Amino acid sequence: MPDFETDSNLVQEYKYGFFTDIETDTIPKGLNEEVIAIISAKKNEPVWMLEWRLKAFRRWQKMKNPDWAFLDMPEIDFQDIHYYSAPKEPVDMKEMDPELLKTFERLGIPMGERDALSGVAMDVVFDSVSVGTTHKELLEEQGIIFCSISEAIQKHPDLVKQYLGTVVPPGDNFYAALNSAVFTDGSFCYIPKGVTCPVELSTYFRINAADTGQFERTLIVCDDNATCSYLEGCTAPARDTNQLHAAVVEIVALENADVKYSTVQNWYAGDEEGKGGIYNFVTKRGHCRGRKSKISWTQVEVGAAITWKYPSCVLEGDGSVGEFYSVAFTNNHMQADTGTKMIHVGKNTSSTIISKGISAGYSSNNYRGLVKVVEGASNARNHSICDSLLIGRDCSANTFPYIESEDDSAHLAHEATTSTISEDQLFYLKSRGLSEEDAASMVVKGFCKDVFKKLPLEFSVEAIKLLEIKLEGSIG
Amino acid sequence: MPTLNLPLTDTPSLLGGFDETLLESARKGEHALLQAKRTAAYDSYAQIPNPDRFHEEYRRMDPDLFKIATFSPLEIPETAAAYQAVPEDSNYDVVISVSSEGIAIEDCNGVLTDGSLVVMPLDQAAREHTTLLEQSLGAAMVPGEQRKFLDLNGAFWNVGFFIYAKKGVDLKGGILIRYHNDQAGTVLLPRLVVVAESLTRFAIAEQFTSPDDVKTLCISGRELLLDAAADVKLVSLQDWGNEGLHIGEDWARVKRDAKVNLFSMTVGGKVSKMTVGCDVCEPNANAYLGGMFFADRDQHFDQKTLQYHSSADTYSNMLYKGAVKDNGYSVYQGIIRALKNCVGVDSYQTNNNLVLDSTARADSLPGLIIDADELACSHGATFGNIDQEQLYYLRSRGIPEGEARRMLVMGFFDEVIERIPFENMQDHLHAVIERKFGV
Repeated sequence: MPDFETDSNLVQEYKYGFFTDIETDTIPKGLNEEVIAIISAKKNEPVWMLEWRLKAFRRWQKMKNPDWAFLDMPEIDFQDIHYYSAPKEPVDMKEMDPELLKTFERLGIPMGERDALSGVAMDVVFDSVSVGTTHKELLEEQGIIFCSISEAIQKHPDLVKQYLGTVVPPGDNFYAALNSAVFTDGSFCYIPKGVTCPVELSTYFRINAADTGQFERTLIVCDDNATCSYLEGCTAPARDTNQLHAAVVEIVALENADVKYSTVQNWYAGDEEGKGGIYNFVTKRGHCRGRKSKISWTQVEVGAAITWKYPSCVLEGDGSVGEFYSVAFTNNHMQADTGTKMIHVGKNTSSTIISKGISAGYSSNNYRGLVKVVEGASNARNHSICDSLLIGRDCSANTFPYIESEDDSAHLAHEATTSTISEDQLFYLKSRGLSEEDAASMVVKGFCKDVFKKLPLEFSVEAIKLLEIKLEGSIG
Repeated sequence: MPTLNLPLTDTPSLLGGFDETLLESARKGEHALLQAKRTAAYDSYAQIPNPDRFHEEYRRMDPDLFKIATFSPLEIPETAAAYQAVPEDSNYDVVISVSSEGIAIEDCNGVLTDGSLVVMPLDQAAREHTTLLEQSLGAAMVPGEQRKFLDLNGAFWNVGFFIYAKKGVDLKGGILIRYHNDQAGTVLLPRLVVVAESLTRFAIAEQFTSPDDVKTLCISGRELLLDAAADVKLVSLQDWGNEGLHIGEDWARVKRDAKVNLFSMTVGGKVSKMTVGCDVCEPNANAYLGGMFFADRDQHFDQKTLQYHSSADTYSNMLYKGAVKDNGYSVYQGIIRALKNCVGVDSYQTNNNLVLDSTARADSLPGLIIDADELACSHGATFGNIDQEQLYYLRSRGIPEGEARRMLVMGFFDEVIERIPFENMQDHLHAVIERKFGV
């Protein structure tokens, strides 16, 4: 029998675990209305925005941290977090802090003119602020707005007012309310009618300062007949304390719009003992408002000590389409409770869910998903596949799908499997001269193929490489 | 790891009139063993918090629907009930009838005479098989689970039977237990303990009926303990009248090479919540869980299953088929659980649902909780209406649409019904489906 025991000596060190020593502007720990006012003032926000934040904060104070997830986590002290931290020098693309530039080079992020041809427009969020956006001119020619959300609040208040909080209302859940009160930065994209975005839009999130929380807020609006593809990447330094990342992402797709949202989440996951790491509690939701609109979520989750997120689609427009493709890898003491929600409201809507979970070490990997067809949503279609792969004896994989059908014309099918790498497959590959580790790695990659092929090419290569690194040491 | 159970309470949480006074009256004059068992069950019952609709398990079925406080226990006299004729097309070996008139145990084929098979009320068993009953009453529960209603039944049961098959018993016809409650405002609390020694083979059917428009409640508890290579089938048929309420708990423990079949057929009554769980606890133990539910005319059925694999190399398979129409609402929730180091487990869970019109609703929550590798656990759930192509095919052969629909629903359920070991029960279920289609 192949021995899949985790050998901790072999576990690959976290490549992005460095810390950049730059001067920062950090406000004291704690959370109260004053802190929210300071954040709002630092962002130079209009009064309506501050009011919106305060309303969310008062709502949050009345809410309880939910406990239904299959997660084992210590109590979070929300007063023991810095809610704002930013590099001190105002950052200009050309004269960016060399330390910071070095950071991004180490991360392998294209920043600056030399990468003008790389075909990705990038917004970079460092702790609480956005430090630069590339390809602005090219996008402006097409009328596309792609900037940080703080900038959008200043420059495009009408658009922000029209859409912010309409997909994820401030009182949606505990962490969405918290985010609405203290969110610091994130991206704003608006694709006007009939425009196909010529480049991939991308945001890179990096937590750098200690004891800070990152509260990202992203809003993507795709107007009639518009198309865009958005990518998100995340890393953080290796620390032995836990840090909180509570993001809200909202997507609005109007008539015939097509939005593709991809994430490669590689937050620091803690060490082999499970010490430290990021808590990644995220609310992501897309709203297919227009007819024949489409929202597609693709996520590769390989980091974070605890992940708790359900990118969802509300399929309101007739004929709208929701997709969810996910690979979630957990190792050591990582925990993940993740999945999706597909709410069918319009007629002739369809959704696809493909979720692949891989657990190794002592980790726990849970899929939780909801497929709901409301009355009158005739001819709804859903197909869900949730597969789990277990590597090692001490990990667990759990699947909790919720399926609710109130319409007689709906066709819903869900299937899930849990298994380990089969000995036959390993034997076959080994008989062809592959080492056991390579063979297992190949089987795992094959297991995730359905999801990887949905990622944009650059990210697909990165995701496969990331998974390979993460797998090293788990097998063999 | 977080557990699915809620923390126990320090102060007793009681449901309706199920308190210490009632416990004392149930205990009165009983054998010491039964008294002790009732007290133990009561202590556990009082400690488990009262379920409300904020508990995950009851989110889709508010426990208030059962209005437990409005019912009082059914009085079952000690006198033998008038013998109710057994359906002619059946060949049961033993028929037990329970109603407000009393209890009757009829040995149709003389299988009880040589003592290899024991079928008797629990109080008689407490006197004649004390040690065995002490080991088996309340012993089939999956460890670590908290079941409020099973403990309630354990403390307050008002009719109970003990079925004990000695090594090698092979019963051809099976045992039928019929419960009929015609007393409005009463709760029936039946308990069944089945002990199957090694190499036994038999089947048990339980049938629940009540007249229409009579408000009744039933909280049932059944336990099965299967020793090596035993083969036991248990069918529960809920065929209550339109005001019947039912909360049922079935638990089985299956040892080496043994095989259990648990069927839960819910077609009658108003609100029903069934929980079926089995612990396959030794290598090569096997469990099959079959279920059928058909909710129409505001019926609300909730089915919960647990396939608990506490040993390596154990097998289980589950097939629950449901249909809903006319404001019917069905909920299926199921869990496959494989404990640590239980390698070689092979387990499957299927839930198929037919949503026949848009006034009805069906929810499905299959789940997997897996703490071991080297195994294969899967589940599948589907929802849909009758396949239009199949309907078209039948109509092209000259079959009217209504009848074609009925045939297809019948075919849908037959995958479960045909596995039931009693032919007359299969016929009965077919008749129920026809009735639901207004034939």
